[in-house]
Amino acid sequence: MNFLNKQALVEVKNLKTYFYTEEGIVKAVDGVDYEIYPGETLGIVGESGCGKSVTSLSIMRLVESPPGRIEAGEINFQGKDLTKISEKEMRKIRGNDISMIFQEPMTSLNPVYTVGDQIIEAIMLHKDVNRKEARKQAIDMLKKVGIPLPEQRVDEYPHQLSGGMRQRVMIAMALSCDPKLLIADEPTTALDVTIQAQILELMNSLKESYGMSIMMITHDLGVIAEVSDRVAVMYAGKVVEYTDVDTLFDDPKHPYTWGLMNSIPKLDKDVDRLEAIPGSVPSPLNFPKGCKFNTRCPLAEGKCYDEEPPLEEAAAGHKVRCWRYKDLEEIKKRGERIYEDRGVQK
Amino acid sequence: MAENLLEVKNLKKYFPVKAGIFKKTVAHVKAVDDISFAVKEGETLGLVGESGCGKSTTGRTILRLLEATAGEVIFEGKSVMDLDKKAMRAIRRDMQIIFQDPYASLNPRMTVADIVGEPLDIHKLAKNKKERNEKVREILENVGLGAEYMHRYPHEFSGGQRQRIGVARALAVDPKLIIADEPVSALDVSVQAQVVNLLQDLQKEYGLTYLFIAHDLSVVKHISDRVAVMYLGKIVELTDKHELYSNPKHPYTQSLLSAIPEADPKKKKNRIVLEGDVPSPVDPPSGCRFHPRCPKAFEPCSVKEPEFKEYGDGHFAACHLLDK
Repeated sequence: MNFLNKQALVEVKNLKTYFYTEEGIVKAVDGVDYEIYPGETLGIVGESGCGKSVTSLSIMRLVESPPGRIEAGEINFQGKDLTKISEKEMRKIRGNDISMIFQEPMTSLNPVYTVGDQIIEAIMLHKDVNRKEARKQAIDMLKKVGIPLPEQRVDEYPHQLSGGMRQRVMIAMALSCDPKLLIADEPTTALDVTIQAQILELMNSLKESYGMSIMMITHDLGVIAEVSDRVAVMYAGKVVEYTDVDTLFDDPKHPYTWGLMNSIPKLDKDVDRLEAIPGSVPSPLNFPKGCKFNTRCPLAEGKCYDEEPPLEEAAAGHKVRCWRYKDLEEIKKRGERIYEDRGVQK
Repeated sequence: MAENLLEVKNLKKYFPVKAGIFKKTVAHVKAVDDISFAVKEGETLGLVGESGCGKSTTGRTILRLLEATAGEVIFEGKSVMDLDKKAMRAIRRDMQIIFQDPYASLNPRMTVADIVGEPLDIHKLAKNKKERNEKVREILENVGLGAEYMHRYPHEFSGGQRQRIGVARALAVDPKLIIADEPVSALDVSVQAQVVNLLQDLQKEYGLTYLFIAHDLSVVKHISDRVAVMYLGKIVELTDKHELYSNPKHPYTQSLLSAIPEADPKKKKNRIVLEGDVPSPVDPPSGCRFHPRCPKAFEPCSVKEPEFKEYGDGHFAACHLLDK
């Protein structure tokens, strides 16, 4: 699918979201750019602490302040810069044009209200309908997300539903106002694989029928491969690689993306040893100078320790933030592994 | 052929459900309900299933961290079920466990040297303090942590390093069997591979036997020799890993395998999406426990429980379809 000649729905430019803590400034998101086009799913993948959730919270303007603050950058949505508009205007967009679902459906539903009440609240807030009509729409939504016996379920409390059902309720609530963008922050991480398959399938089919865009945030490359059109790989508050999903999996250009892909075992291919990326993600209070991946990167040398690489167009529609992506290309051609084994140290 | 190091026979673990002011037992959660399997010396047996299927309870019941309701656990030819406390403690030297959450399973007030050294003290494996420290240092180096970390506390480590400490603690007493209960699922993807590689290296080095409990089928396939699939307290299928992944016989295994999202966008899978949720283990469905969700269920499934038996060359399964 080619979205690139369309007008972007959301355009994030040089977004910086910092947290001012007692220990120092945490640069959770530090200069991030991406676009989301109408009808596409943009996958954002990265490990804990890479800033993937904070970018989405920034779009929703849900970053708690203090300590957090959008430091710089633009978030353009339908001709408005969401970082500039008033809270009152933002409230009209939030839950209406842009809505969000979270990882843990139990903690994002209010336990003392029925699921129906919570969906009705969202509908009545954004649409000019009475309660009776809103209830009808809520039941309708529950039916669309595949909840059996929606007329009964609408009057049940969150604790009466299973994890998968709760996530369906969250999706029903998020979609009740026909959003243009749905932000899904690890929506299936807390669910079992068979339930995850149900939810991913549901999201894909709803995307088709509603024509909305989805921003899918996850750490799971399998989920990314399954639902995304384009992907941004994040590491330490920056996008390190940005391209369409097929190119990313065929030809990863950043050593981090490469490492992530080879560190997960594949079902259809046997390998004796996984390629493990050494070390762990650096603390955001103490990012290294130069490229932020230099503490773990087997290719890091001279320049990588001094100067941060730019997000550069390596091929048409394929951006990468690495000084040495061309060298990685050579290594890949020779069919070598770049991450050495670090198991038992003798 | 290798000997069985561990045999589990008809193991059951029921948890009482209590209600009312007199805490009368009104029902039982049948977490593990009559399962049998064996782990051969030097092999890795994977135990997979979704949350609530009883895989962790199985691990804990084998070590008698939970007392079994019925059944037998035989370790090196001896039943461990009726050992007294002292004898049980001695046998735990040979059977160790690694837990899922490296944050919760290490005492925050103990230094790494004490955490790894404690099992040495309990089993009196070091003559004096010097020898103990020497051993701790050696074990830490073997799991990829330098001796300079000995006097630090758990909070000073990352998740992957903490899991290495957990592995070191289990290794300290030179065990034969390690039960690894979701050892990598709390870790970041890039760190998971480090711990998986470490576990494989240690297995080769020390000739360890693993019972590897996890919900992630791709990790289980990578590390195991044979795999057992659990559903609602029962083992539904058990076989060699290649056989399981290329020729799954039980409909649950088939749908579980098809449900895994694979890191390959070009691969379009024929997904068998299961309807509904896992039923409650308090009141499991009659007959085959999988029948309400099974796409292939037919009339005997709701009435008669299928027998867990061999269908050629070590491939065990419990399904009426296979006898049709």
